[in-house]
Amino acid sequence: MLRFDRANVMTAIAAAGVLLLLLAGAGIVMYNEVSYKEAKAQQVEAQSRVLASTVTAALAFDDRKAAREYVNALAVDPQIQAVAVYDARGHLFAAYARDGEHALPAATAVSDPRLDGDVLKVTVPVAQGRNTLGSVYLETAIDPISRRLERYAIIALLVSMASLIFVLLGLAQRRLAEANERLRRQGIDLAEANENLLAQIAQRESVEGALRQAQKMEAMGQLTGGIAHDFNNLLQVILGNLELLQRRKLVADDEANRMVASAVRGAERAATLTQRLLAFARRQPLDPRPLDVNKLVQGMSDLLHRSLGEAIRVETVLAGGIWRVAVDANQLENALLNLAVNARDAMAGTGKLTIETANVHLDEPYAQANEVRPGQYVMIAVSDSGSGMTPEVTAKAFEPFFTTKDVGKGSGLGLSQVYGFIKQSEGHAKIYSEPGDGTTVKLYLPRLAGAASGERVAVGAPALPAGREDRRILVVEDDEDVRTHAVTMLKELGYTVLEAADAESALRLFDAHPDVRLLFTDVGLPGGRNGRELADALRRRNPELAVLFTTGYARNAIVHHGRLDPGVDLITKPFTFAALANKVHAMFERCEVTAREAPQP
Amino acid sequence: MRRRCVAFFAALCGMLAPPLAAQAPNVEYAVKATYLYKLAPFVDWPAGTFTGPADPLVICVAGEDEVADLVDEAVKGQSVGSHPIAVVHLAAGATTPCNILYLAERGNARAAMLERFRGMPVLTVTDNAAAAHGIVNFVVQDNRVRFEIDLNAAAANHLTISSKLLNLAARVLPRP
Repeated sequence: MLRFDRANVMTAIAAAGVLLLLLAGAGIVMYNEVSYKEAKAQQVEAQSRVLASTVTAALAFDDRKAAREYVNALAVDPQIQAVAVYDARGHLFAAYARDGEHALPAATAVSDPRLDGDVLKVTVPVAQGRNTLGSVYLETAIDPISRRLERYAIIALLVSMASLIFVLLGLAQRRLAEANERLRRQGIDLAEANENLLAQIAQRESVEGALRQAQKMEAMGQLTGGIAHDFNNLLQVILGNLELLQRRKLVADDEANRMVASAVRGAERAATLTQRLLAFARRQPLDPRPLDVNKLVQGMSDLLHRSLGEAIRVETVLAGGIWRVAVDANQLENALLNLAVNARDAMAGTGKLTIETANVHLDEPYAQANEVRPGQYVMIAVSDSGSGMTPEVTAKAFEPFFTTKDVGKGSGLGLSQVYGFIKQSEGHAKIYSEPGDGTTVKLYLPRLAGAASGERVAVGAPALPAGREDRRILVVEDDEDVRTHAVTMLKELGYTVLEAADAESALRLFDAHPDVRLLFTDVGLPGGRNGRELADALRRRNPELAVLFTTGYARNAIVHHGRLDPGVDLITKPFTFAALANKVHAMFERCEVTAREAPQP
Repeated sequence: MRRRCVAFFAALCGMLAPPLAAQAPNVEYAVKATYLYKLAPFVDWPAGTFTGPADPLVICVAGEDEVADLVDEAVKGQSVGSHPIAVVHLAAGATTPCNILYLAERGNARAAMLERFRGMPVLTVTDNAAAAHGIVNFVVQDNRVRFEIDLNAAAANHLTISSKLLNLAARVLPRP
């Protein structure tokens, strides 16, 4: 609005300027006209008086000839039309007329200059002292109106040129103002567009960064998962054979026994390592059970004190009414222990470790930015008063083998295990850290909807339960070393064992020996059927058949979204002798209880 | 057209100024008598000549009484500026103070008179004088009374003659 007003004002000013110029021009012309006539009149009167003065003697002495000479002298002026000198009696004394037709008045009264058309007429007395000797009459043509207009045309031209300049200036000013306004608006638009673009770029960069990070983690997960799987099989063979060596007391030599024990410890550490790699790759088989996080944290306090030492205080802030979650308790303990160990290292021996729990809600924007589903979560925050991390370190902290610890002090797999486990549990992990201000790692576990049931079963018995000959087990495993090892172990425990390398031969064996009570099968099998399909096929033949899967890492066949299907048991490679013995024994016991409780057909 | 106009003016002139030849000698003197006082406005007397604006301009006439009478007649009712005009009949040898001296007489008497008034602020006027003439000398040309002016004599009498008058003179004797 303001812009238009200004333009209008400019136009008005220009118009007023032009009008003023025109008025001034007209005024100049009128003034010129009047002053020209006045000047002309004065000139004519002066000429008359000069003549009157010079002609006195001629009149006094009645010298017409001299008078005529004076009169003729005036006629040199081309504008003078007629001149006449009259004597005291009013009689014509001497005269000149430019135009023959020009009638001279016979006698005239003395008068001021008067305009008669384009002719100026004046009569002045010829006086000598008090005596009037006669009069002089003069007629002068003034410039005709056309001539005067020609003169004024120059003024008009100047005025119109000035007006034109004024108008042009006004127009130019208006154009300039409009152009400026356009430019200003374009500038604003451009700035807005630029801002939008920058915002979009920033958003895209952040999304791309997150995507890259996710892809990197995924790629690393696949790589580590693949390696770990193969390693597991090899470790199984090594560990199994070493245990058999110990168990059968084949080595009498004490030193050789110590060497075997050392080899077992080494293999077990290697197994732990591969377990963590699988955890990061989200391919460790999880056994999620309904869980009270507060109870788990409380139960860990002894373990934490032992792990952290006396110099580090452990403080727990546990929220009341905490929601239940469904996670693998062992892995959660592992994760918290990993975080505690990291915190201890960051605090260089002294400080305070705080574990908090809380019910939180992750809203849509946060969820989108962090690749997690929005909703209700139980948060476990582990904070230390340590040295903290730079943003660069924070960004890479979850990557496997990334460590700031000295060589040999850490594996670089602690936080990646946490990350993989939480992700596999459909949760979310986030690190907040400032150099010098300590670090907080927050774990978010999805709230378990529905009623809670069952506490976890205590695992591990002091003595290995022995097998029985009537408990027949079918072992299906494509890796011959692993199969041989498993078969050897189970036979060692006292079970009757059948073995098969693939699903087809397993089906044939089962048909030949329908008294098989337990199927112990690898998940991944060559040929048409995998372990799960084999189990389903055999269970159709004998619904009471117990199934124990084993795998290096969980496959979709038995693990959906990282969880075991109900009614399926799993033992992960590499498994120890004791773990296998306990697991198989527990399964047989459960089967028999179920069989006893079930109504007889 | 122009020719007709000129003829008209000529006729007018003729009517207004009849040729002298056709008139009596009295007429000639009557004209001269008028000229005497008409000369006065074109002549500057030295300062102090007139003590006041009402001082009379004195015209002395030396010669026949008829001429003096004509002058008397001519100045009747006239004045020169603010000055009234007085006419004095000058007897031979008299030394009345004059502003204008008209020597109508001829011969030695005139020369003596001129000599007497030489160096005095008096406009001397002579009549058809060949040798001893006054500042203004009347002559008759083409039947018209005209005059000659002797600037040398005017200077001798401390008088200044207006150029307007000089323009009308038939002859001007310049200063040497």
